Amino acid sequence: MNGDYSKFLQTFFEEVTEHLSVLESGLLSLEKNPDDVEVLNRIFRSVHTIKGAGPMFGFTAMSRFAHKVETLLDPLRNRKFSATRQIIDLLLESADCLNMLVEAAKNGTVIDENKTVLDLEARLETCMTVTAPAPGQKPAPGPSSAAPAPPAPVTSARQTYQISWTPGEDLFQRGLNPLKLLEEMGRLGTVTSCVLATSRLPDLADLDPERCYLSWTCTLETDYPRADIESVFEFTAPPGGLTITALSSSSPVAQSTQEPDPEPARSVVDKEDDRRLAEVFFGQKPDSLGAILVEQKAVTPAQLAKALDRQDTLRAKSKEQKAETSMRVDTEKVDKLVNLVRELAITQSMLSALGGHFEIKHLPILQERLLQLERNTQEIQERVMGIRMLPISTAFNRFPRLVRDLSAKVGKNIQLLISGEETELDRSVIESIGDPLTHLLRNACDHALEPPEERVASGKPEQGTIRLNAFHEGGKICITIEDDGRGLNRDKILAKAIEQRMITGNDTLSDDQVWALIFRPGFSTAEKLTDLSGRGVGMDVVKRNIEELSGIVTIKTVAGRGTIFTLKLPLTLAIIEGMTIRVGEDTYIVPLLSILESIQPKADMVKTLIGKGEVVNVRGVFYPIVRLYEVFDLQPEHKNPAEAILLILETEGERVVVMVDEILGQQQVVIKSIEENFRKVDGVAGATILGDGTVGLILDVRGLVKLARQEQSIAV
Amino acid sequence: MSRVILVVDDSPTMRGMVSHALNEAGFETKEAENGKDALIKLTMMEVGGTKPDVIVTDVNMPEMDGIELVREIRKLAAFKHVPVLVLTTDNTDEKKEVGRAAGATGWLVKPFDSELILKVIRKVLPQ
Repeated sequence: MNGDYSKFLQTFFEEVTEHLSVLESGLLSLEKNPDDVEVLNRIFRSVHTIKGAGPMFGFTAMSRFAHKVETLLDPLRNRKFSATRQIIDLLLESADCLNMLVEAAKNGTVIDENKTVLDLEARLETCMTVTAPAPGQKPAPGPSSAAPAPPAPVTSARQTYQISWTPGEDLFQRGLNPLKLLEEMGRLGTVTSCVLATSRLPDLADLDPERCYLSWTCTLETDYPRADIESVFEFTAPPGGLTITALSSSSPVAQSTQEPDPEPARSVVDKEDDRRLAEVFFGQKPDSLGAILVEQKAVTPAQLAKALDRQDTLRAKSKEQKAETSMRVDTEKVDKLVNLVRELAITQSMLSALGGHFEIKHLPILQERLLQLERNTQEIQERVMGIRMLPISTAFNRFPRLVRDLSAKVGKNIQLLISGEETELDRSVIESIGDPLTHLLRNACDHALEPPEERVASGKPEQGTIRLNAFHEGGKICITIEDDGRGLNRDKILAKAIEQRMITGNDTLSDDQVWALIFRPGFSTAEKLTDLSGRGVGMDVVKRNIEELSGIVTIKTVAGRGTIFTLKLPLTLAIIEGMTIRVGEDTYIVPLLSILESIQPKADMVKTLIGKGEVVNVRGVFYPIVRLYEVFDLQPEHKNPAEAILLILETEGERVVVMVDEILGQQQVVIKSIEENFRKVDGVAGATILGDGTVGLILDVRGLVKLARQEQSIAV
Repeated sequence: MSRVILVVDDSPTMRGMVSHALNEAGFETKEAENGKDALIKLTMMEVGGTKPDVIVTDVNMPEMDGIELVREIRKLAAFKHVPVLVLTTDNTDEKKEVGRAAGATGWLVKPFDSELILKVIRKVLPQ
């Protein structure tokens, strides 16, 4: 590889990732419509691109494998035969393998004689021969080396050839200059004669100046093999338009035309492929260092290929770090942002013009401009955040395949319906929801959906359905996973929880509280362990993952009808909608997401219950009260709850009431970590800079609930 | 004035790399994503009174492939003399013959060698 292409490595990986997902989703849709030529063409192009671009970076194994896959796809898209289930299975496996090769390339691991790869390659070939006895397509040479191999003169003896060249009449129209080609030929050796034949010239009246009627006969003395002369004129003459005759030669081959030779008179047969890959019809020879070394017999071509491979791998490695931290952004988004910045600059210049000679009568204009500035800033903020947004399909893409494989594994017929995949959310959130969603889907396939017999027996369609849906709701994103399976079994869960000593038999629990039990660590009701799930790890991990994203999981279930898991997540982790509140002199921010309501209680609503501490009765339900000034040791304005304001907050299905002096207003805040700069502070999730430049602390609602619980237990 | 080359490829990686190699050598490049896009870009150039000195195109592309693009270009009065180099992984004689018949000027095989591309381009560049 010559030139510095390392900066394209990342583009390449991004592109390949897209192609791999095109490949997989294409194959899945092919399963339903095996003759969809559009899809076949699309996946063919994807594989083709991987094959073509891979070697540019030295990823020869990847490219070679892609080539094998392509060889099978080609007859499919040309309708030579149809994609059977077996072929699609094989192709899906190949897609996985290709993915593995891509990952290996990303990590700089060299995969040479990998068994999976070789095995699949063999199976792909077998598939070709079995399905299409006469593929009629000679496998194109695999790019076995990224290095352009040197077409060094192989024949040592100088030979003299007579070359008669009758180019096609369209020579000029194709932008070719015969003089340049003849000069090119001349560079191969010594031209001893060159005769121009004008016999084809028509009468002047019939002559089309754009056509070429000339032909040439030259004598060339050269050290280069015949193939090199051919390649000078390759493409310029119609078949039969080029004849090369050896005049004085020790070679038994007396004559050849441009038609393919049965066997080129060259000893290094396997180098032929390399040459053809790197050479074009003009017969240019690459003269890279490697080529020179090989030419001088300093290294063998194999050694060279290996060294180049290693070079590229090392190069790839050094770029790895960078590749992980950058992202690809829709140009449209960037363009809009640039426009906004332009608007901002205009507003700014208008403001400074105004400030230059400010008179008080201009105040309304100033206010108007400031309003404009505010709009600009807000929009820019939204757009900048938008840059971090990706459609959730990036996370959903892998699920059709997952469900397909799972349904085969558990012996159930399952369809996955996805909707709302265009819903956008922050890419860091997308990266983190993959695992919990995978787990929920696995559970649905494995446990929730009944085996076919059972479904038919209970009057349901044999095919189980899982719906995956995403939508925006009030500044949050909701993802629902809905199955039409057996639903959660209250009695079974209770029995299990009692057995696990999570609850006692005396506890009376609401349905929601029972469902919440499945998120406890170590909880599992599956009677038999399968390799999919049922090991009791999982649901608690799901919950933890979602909560790490400041999200919540809720369950709705109807026995015999199915279950819906709803995940609510913030659109982004960097900015939250907050409510600013005041306690004494200090300002705090409460995440809006967790505020259910705020009340000014009457004195008789607040009670102190034995064993529960201070509680407030809101429409018949008692909630524990946390006095914020006590938690943070502040001087409050009000110590009497009846004078203060109570915020009812919810997290993880638990509620807590926080007592504050005043609600100041709603504001978007950018979260800054305290932990990173200081240390973890209980009850505080982070900090932010408020409108007036001072620092405000963001309350950690989960921490406050815990605090409330601790107080309860102390009170006990 | 620097020479302009139109690079047609559906793969952003390939497009970027070819353009990069050409830019390094002092050529100005324009890019198009497929045959149809290339024809649009060419029309826009025609309106602007310019044209590319050389076109380098991939074969396998959505919308319109490279071979079809060559055929279309050869039909256009303004562009029929522009050299078109095909840059592809296809290396079979049949494919080359199809390209030649369509009116392609040259055939380059991927993975490409930038020096090779440059040499070929300099060779076919109109005087």
